[in-house]
This record gives sequence, C-alpha cells and structure tokens, in this order.
Amino acid sequence: MDNFTINGPRVVFKFTVGDYTVRITETLFNSWIVLIIVSLLVIWLGSRLKKVPVTKKQAVAEMAVNFMNKLVDDNLGIGLRLYYAPYLAAVFILILAGSLLSLFGFRAVPSDVSFTGTLAIMTFFMILYNKIKYNGFGGYLKGLASPAVLTPFNILSEFATPVSMAMRLFGNLSGGAIITSLIYAALAGASAAVYGLIGIVADNYYFSFLQVGIPAVLSIYFDLFSGVIQSYVFIILTLAYIKNGKE
Amino acid sequence: MEIEYMDFLSFEPSTIVGTLLNALILFWVIKHFLFDKVNAVLKQRNDEVAKTYEDADTALNNAKSMETQYMEKLSSAKEESAEIVKNATKKAQVRYDEIVSDAKDDARGIIDKAGSDIEREKKRAVNQIKDEISGIAISIAQKVVKKELDSRAHEQLIEDFIGEIGDAT
Repeated sequence: MDNFTINGPRVVFKFTVGDYTVRITETLFNSWIVLIIVSLLVIWLGSRLKKVPVTKKQAVAEMAVNFMNKLVDDNLGIGLRLYYAPYLAAVFILILAGSLLSLFGFRAVPSDVSFTGTLAIMTFFMILYNKIKYNGFGGYLKGLASPAVLTPFNILSEFATPVSMAMRLFGNLSGGAIITSLIYAALAGASAAVYGLIGIVADNYYFSFLQVGIPAVLSIYFDLFSGVIQSYVFIILTLAYIKNGKE
Repeated sequence: MEIEYMDFLSFEPSTIVGTLLNALILFWVIKHFLFDKVNAVLKQRNDEVAKTYEDADTALNNAKSMETQYMEKLSSAKEESAEIVKNATKKAQVRYDEIVSDAKDDARGIIDKAGSDIEREKKRAVNQIKDEISGIAISIAQKVVKKELDSRAHEQLIEDFIGEIGDAT
C-alpha cells in the first residue's frame, strides 16, 4: 500500500544520439505492436477481394470501409472520402487497439499525453487546413476577429480544441488505469486484512483472493467500453471540427 | 538495470515523432491495402449492376420498338390487303362492265343484223311475190287475151300496178 505510485509510461530502451538521449517509451513500443498487428489484419482483410463477395472476411472488410465512407460522406459531403475515411479509420483503430492492449496487461497507449497530444495536433492542423482552404487565409483571419471584442477568445479557442481533445482521451484512459490500479491495491489490502482476521500471517507473497473477479468488471468498463467510446468520440469530434472549419 | 519511468504528464519528443510516423504509416497501410481495394471492388460491382440495368433497359426498349415496328407493319399489311382487294374489286367491276357493255353491243349488233336480214328477206320475199304475181298476172292475161303480148311493155304495166298494190299493203 505505502509504495503505491502513479507512473508515466516505462522507458523500454534508450540510446544517445550525440548529446541527446532518445527514450523509447512503453507508449511507442506498444503502438508498434498495434501497428504490426493491425497492418497484418488490414492486409489480410484487403487481400483476395472478389467482385462477388463469397467470404465473410470480405463482407466484414466492405462493412468497415462502407461505414467509414458513409461517416465521411454524411459529415463532410461527397467526394472527400478518399483521404479522410482511411485517415479517420487509422486514428480510430490506433486508439481503439491501443486501449484494448490493456486487456492483455500492457499499458494502454492513449494513457500517454504525448500520444494523444500528437493525434490532437494532427487534427488541429487538419482543421486549420480546411478553414484556410474553404475560407482563404484572409477569411480565416477575419473569422478569428469577427466580433472584434472576442478576438483573444477566438484565438484561445483555436488552441483549446486540440488541447481538449488530447486531454479528454488522455484523461479517460489514464484515469481508468489509475482507478483500476487503486482498486487492485485496495483489494490487496482488503485481502491482507481478511487473512489477518483469520490468523494467517500475510507476507509479501500471499494470494490476494479478492483481486479475482472484481477487477474484471471494472476492466470491461475502463478498458473495453471506455476505449471504444473514446476512440469513436475522437474521430467524430475530428469530423465535426473539420466540418465546422469548412463552413 | 533500474526501470525508468517517464513522468505521468510528460511530453517525450521521440514518442511524439514516433506516434506521428505510426499514424502516417497506419494511414497509408489502411488506405492502400484496405480502402483502395475495397473501394475498387465496390465500384466494379456498382458499375456492373448499373451496366446490367442499362442492358435490361436497352433490351426492353428494343423489344418495345420492335413491337411498334411489327404493329406498324401489321397494320400496313392490312391496309395493303384491303387496297389489293379494293383494286381487284374495281378491276373486276370494270371488266364486268366491259363484258356487259360488249355483250349489249353484240346483242344490239345481232338484233340490228337480224332486223336488216328480216327487212332484206321481206324485201326479197315481196319482190319474189311481185315477180310471181306479175308472172301469174301475165299468164292470166295471156290466157285471158289468148294473145302474145308485148311482154316487156305489159310487164312494166303490171309492175306499176303491183307496186301500187304493194305500197297500199
């Protein structure tokens, strides 16, 4: 109990380039695992497609692609699906698979603010690109200063968008992880107390029987549900902001 | 080796760059190996369906145009046959009229000829009768006067006499 600490991602390995130390953290390492697994899955899904679908695999692939295409069409209008649909799919699957890794005992990838911040910055630049593309650079600046009084707030809200997106994702996933580890610690303490009550001297190697079962329920919420919801929320917000930027 | 942890809320440049690269790589993989392929297949399928519909429409239109064409042909054939029948009837009528008028002409000719024949026969018969009567009269007269008459002078006389009789009859 007394040594319970909340850590950031573990540094898996590090090397120095000149004076600079490059730290490869758990986040990056785990997202490489995700990258490899998802890439193989995607290549398998996209292989041997027939004009007339005969396999369930192809049906799944078509369903996924159609879902993303429709999402982009509905939100951004027809004709933008070529790049936006696979981009959103990539972000979605990266966040989702990254959070589902915690089911296998890995640290959830999005519980690192460097990861969520990077995705949010990508979204930020995408929104910026669309605003400038559809309104012109002058139009964009004019939009920022449209009620002249609110100019500072408008500029602030530009930067608040990526920060809020990054923090929402990070907070949800890391919060879940913290709560889960708190519960684990509490259950270990409770087990020790029960052992003490029935006269068994508990040392460091006793079996915390209360840790069986109960955390699984929480894990379903924090790892599975929260991961799915937050990754979906992230791409929907991205779409909504881009759509907003177009207008 | 001691395990090193990052701070809970820390920005690590290598993670940022790595995440950026990861996202781009995953984007490319998903686009190239899944979306592009599936979209191509879906487009192929849609094109085929559209083509099938188009073909069906074309076939239907063809059938319809052929039907109207046949109907036109059929009605024109009917008209043609009616025309032929009408022409034939007209021709037959003309021929009939011709025949009838020919027959009438023939009949009239025959009647005329018969009439003139009768007239001629009648004239001949009358002349013959006149001759006979004049002969009889001469022979009667010869018998009466018992004397050879100048047959030519008396013949003239008798002929006048008979002619008067004949005109009177």
